[in-house]
Amino acid sequence: MDIAYTGEWTWAASLGRLLIALAFASGLAATIGYTRAVKSRDDQWMRMGQWGFRIQAAALFSAMGLFYLLIFSHRYEFQYIWKHLNDTMSPGLVLASFWGGQEGGFLMWMFWILVLAIVFLKRNPGKLEAPVMAIHGGILTGLTSMLLGLWFGDFQLGLDPFLLLREAPQNAGLPWTLNPDYLALIPEFADGQGLNPLLQNYWMVIHPPTLFLGFASTLMPFALALAGLWTEDHRTWMRRAVSWAFFGVAILGAGILMGGAWAYEALSFGGFWAWDPVENSSLVPWLALVAGAHLLLINQAKPGTAVTATYLMIGLGFLLVVYSTFLTKSGILGDTSVHSFVDSGILPQLLAFLLSCCALFALLVLPPGRDRVTFGGIMAALGVGIVALNPALCILGLLMTMGIAILRGHLKHLPRTREESPLWTREFWMFVGGMLMFASAVHITFQTSLPVINHFLEPFSGWFERLHQSTGSALARKLATHDLAPGTDFDATYHAIQVPLAFLFVTITAFTQFLKYGRNPGKPIFMSLLRSLLAALVLTGMVLLSYGFETWEAPRVALLLACLWSASSNADYIVQFLKGRWDHAGASIAHIGFALVIFGAVLSNAKKEIISQNRFGDLAMLNESLSNKEDLLLLEGDTIAMGPYYVRYRERRQQGIHAKFAVDYFQTSPAEYKTGQVVANEGFLFQAHADHTAAPAFTSDLESGHWTFIPIANERQRNEARPWSAGKPGPFAFTLEPRIQLNEQMGNAPEPDTKRFWNRDLYTHIKWGRVSDPEADEDGWMDGRKHDLMRRDSLVIGRSILALDSISAVTMEEKPSYGLLDKDLAVAAHFRLTGNGPDTNFVALYIVRDSLLIPDMVTLEDRGVKVRIDGFRPGEATFETVIWENLSIRRDFIVMQAVVFPQINLLWLGCLIMTGGALMSVRQRRKRLLKRPAAPTP
Amino acid sequence: MSRLNIVVILMVAVLLGTLLSVFTTNTESVVFARAFAEPGIEFKVSGTLDANYPVLYDPLQDVAETRFHMKDKDGKVQEVLLRKSKPTGLEQSESIDLYGKVIDGEFIATDMLMKCPSKYNEESHSLAEAVPEAG
Repeated sequence: MDIAYTGEWTWAASLGRLLIALAFASGLAATIGYTRAVKSRDDQWMRMGQWGFRIQAAALFSAMGLFYLLIFSHRYEFQYIWKHLNDTMSPGLVLASFWGGQEGGFLMWMFWILVLAIVFLKRNPGKLEAPVMAIHGGILTGLTSMLLGLWFGDFQLGLDPFLLLREAPQNAGLPWTLNPDYLALIPEFADGQGLNPLLQNYWMVIHPPTLFLGFASTLMPFALALAGLWTEDHRTWMRRAVSWAFFGVAILGAGILMGGAWAYEALSFGGFWAWDPVENSSLVPWLALVAGAHLLLINQAKPGTAVTATYLMIGLGFLLVVYSTFLTKSGILGDTSVHSFVDSGILPQLLAFLLSCCALFALLVLPPGRDRVTFGGIMAALGVGIVALNPALCILGLLMTMGIAILRGHLKHLPRTREESPLWTREFWMFVGGMLMFASAVHITFQTSLPVINHFLEPFSGWFERLHQSTGSALARKLATHDLAPGTDFDATYHAIQVPLAFLFVTITAFTQFLKYGRNPGKPIFMSLLRSLLAALVLTGMVLLSYGFETWEAPRVALLLACLWSASSNADYIVQFLKGRWDHAGASIAHIGFALVIFGAVLSNAKKEIISQNRFGDLAMLNESLSNKEDLLLLEGDTIAMGPYYVRYRERRQQGIHAKFAVDYFQTSPAEYKTGQVVANEGFLFQAHADHTAAPAFTSDLESGHWTFIPIANERQRNEARPWSAGKPGPFAFTLEPRIQLNEQMGNAPEPDTKRFWNRDLYTHIKWGRVSDPEADEDGWMDGRKHDLMRRDSLVIGRSILALDSISAVTMEEKPSYGLLDKDLAVAAHFRLTGNGPDTNFVALYIVRDSLLIPDMVTLEDRGVKVRIDGFRPGEATFETVIWENLSIRRDFIVMQAVVFPQINLLWLGCLIMTGGALMSVRQRRKRLLKRPAAPTP
Repeated sequence: MSRLNIVVILMVAVLLGTLLSVFTTNTESVVFARAFAEPGIEFKVSGTLDANYPVLYDPLQDVAETRFHMKDKDGKVQEVLLRKSKPTGLEQSESIDLYGKVIDGEFIATDMLMKCPSKYNEESHSLAEAVPEAG
């Protein structure tokens, strides 16, 4: 094993692993020390905890520093760096390659946890220090264990970020790994693979760190809550947790929406939100955290209110983050989700971490003493059962035990107030709003977790099957197959529940600030809400006029009204009550932002309009099927009406790793028709008898007497007829260049291009397109294509149309002129090639001589077309033909989708306002906390 | 009304609503045999693309018509018609969920979900073929 590898930074691998191991060990020490320090008066435990934490932090920061050193030195012998970095990546992306994979993700997450913990320690933590830091120590140790990279037989404990490629399991035992000079000898090590090109985007630089900071910021409120349970002081922690919780709300919210912006801008999901498991599982903790943060606010004003709910929401904020990590990193979604998720081999470890965090929370909710011991014992037994017996059943049992523990803690341990708040108080409606957000979180979690629930259904499969057989219940049969997955119709799967819930909690944000804590308002608040309600009604009316809504969309319209009311009433609150004292306006501003986010999301999604429909083609398109409702076929050079524009596919060019498709947009001008022109409308032909400008609709154009109906059209009229259209291409407007990314690693991927207007976006992406010319022989002939042609069939070939005009048997008299023998049987196909040159008639023959087929190839060199008849089916009068097209006449084409998203900018604006408002209130809370010092330490 | 009651009622209502929506909106997941036995009813059929047959997509004929062969969970290979433009990455897909029904003896899918090697997936990077350069 002792090979001295030349040029390899073997020392860095060893040092890195040493640092991770040190962080793990000192983390354990910190946890033990701080844990003992909670109850012990002995200062030594505290010092052990503090030093453990310092060493842990130092080791982790050093490991991260070393990791960056390796990245900046482009050390491709390390697997992680080889996978996520290459020499062509820009400096920003080099920075981002740190969190390109899971190992770096864990490091990033721990980085922020450490930073926040240090801030906490700097701020005079008092007697909360020991319990909070004990929790931090435990969590950080658990996370560090994900990076240990130890193997016990087939069981993998953690993913080693400092793994050398030659040590990777898939390379184990290969001959080159024993070659000391492998780095210099193997060309693959000269450069890395690089970050997946799909991720090579500036959002990759800012979105993951923000999201990880958001994830990390849910830990502090969680640790404070556990500290409260542990020390049985249910008040002190809440005062400290408020600003941390709202910090998390601001950052996590911004992080989630950044992900949406990234998806919208760079990935062709067709929108900013796809109810995707990754998106959902970061949204859900945010919802719980928002609910928790507001319950903390209630407890500021009226201590001891809804204590269990407060613990639960704050607890879930963090636990759901861990659950989300579990869902997306363990590979469990892989079975039924449409997305692929890595099965990184650490599922058991992630599951153990998740269940331990949940169990810790549930145990601390229980009253101290016998209860904790009993339940702890049951949970430990079930934990053993997961490994030894049936995992699904035991996990189910464990979750139920935790539920019972929390219920028992609620009844026996946590303080409850008997005093009921009056109905019209701030705390009551804040509580209801928080619970509604939690309900929304439950629903989303349920849908996202269906793949997990399937695992729980599996043991009961036989039982459901019998139930189905005895009762014939379709539901039982569905459950028996344990193959549930969220539906594809978002309206039914998500919106049907989420829209009414959102309507309720957004409405609550509209009026709750006008209420007071603890008592009914002295005078009716209705009057102070009236003007904002009126404003909202007027605005909703305008929305209804601008974007047509149907009756079934009533819940949606109600939600839009609620958003507008919430935005206007919160703005009004700043004017009426705060009189412009901006430093107190954080909450109102955040609510305005939130309302705008929901408004923009709902309106842009509900009223998105796919304008790329094949409606009017030009002449070449007349024969095509017009069944399609979403995609537009654009031939190079054609100008086609699309929504309010005319579009023309100008060219394809390659730029870097992108094939760009330049599509020009033109305004629509009214069409002008000249005397004698023939148009087709709904199958009927009309002739103009006066020069005129078209009316917006054909019926009015007809009524104004410009057209004569042609009852029986002649051949010329039929050929000349074009579909009637109110418009024609007007002045040039702009160019969009949707792209296809040439991605060898993951396959080519489309990337949208969007034209932004103040009140809408025009979002276009390529559904199908060639990234290079098709293959052709040296003379430019592409592979022949088979077509079955009957009389009057026609084909588009380049800019021409090839039509099979008629079929005739070749008579004895004609045979010599075709150079045929008397015994030959022959059928002639009379073709006509029109467009892009003079009309050309030619004949292709189907010849059978002595029951052998004689191929007859007709080549029109100058028109770039070759035709051969391979067969004839007399019964159907159909020729089996092969037709070749020359590259010189080929027209490139694309299939494109174009969507108009109305008012989507309000979503992004709302996000900025919400984050800003939440951060303002964090500052305000912090000031208030400093003014009123914490309760004196006993 | 006590708070606790409100919470309990809310949660129960949402849970019921959720269950109801999941079980009513979910198309049943079946194999081809069942879909052909009950034509006209929408089903979800999961499987993999059969690469022995070509994927037929000719936008010049019809932008929204893709034909390919899929092998379902019973191993039965069936030609299907997807009423959409050819989804990006179909050939690379690892598994396919088709939503559609049998009409006139043909499985016509109106919607399709694919599992693709996506950004979340990192293939294993084996350098098995790596050969030291001569000289």
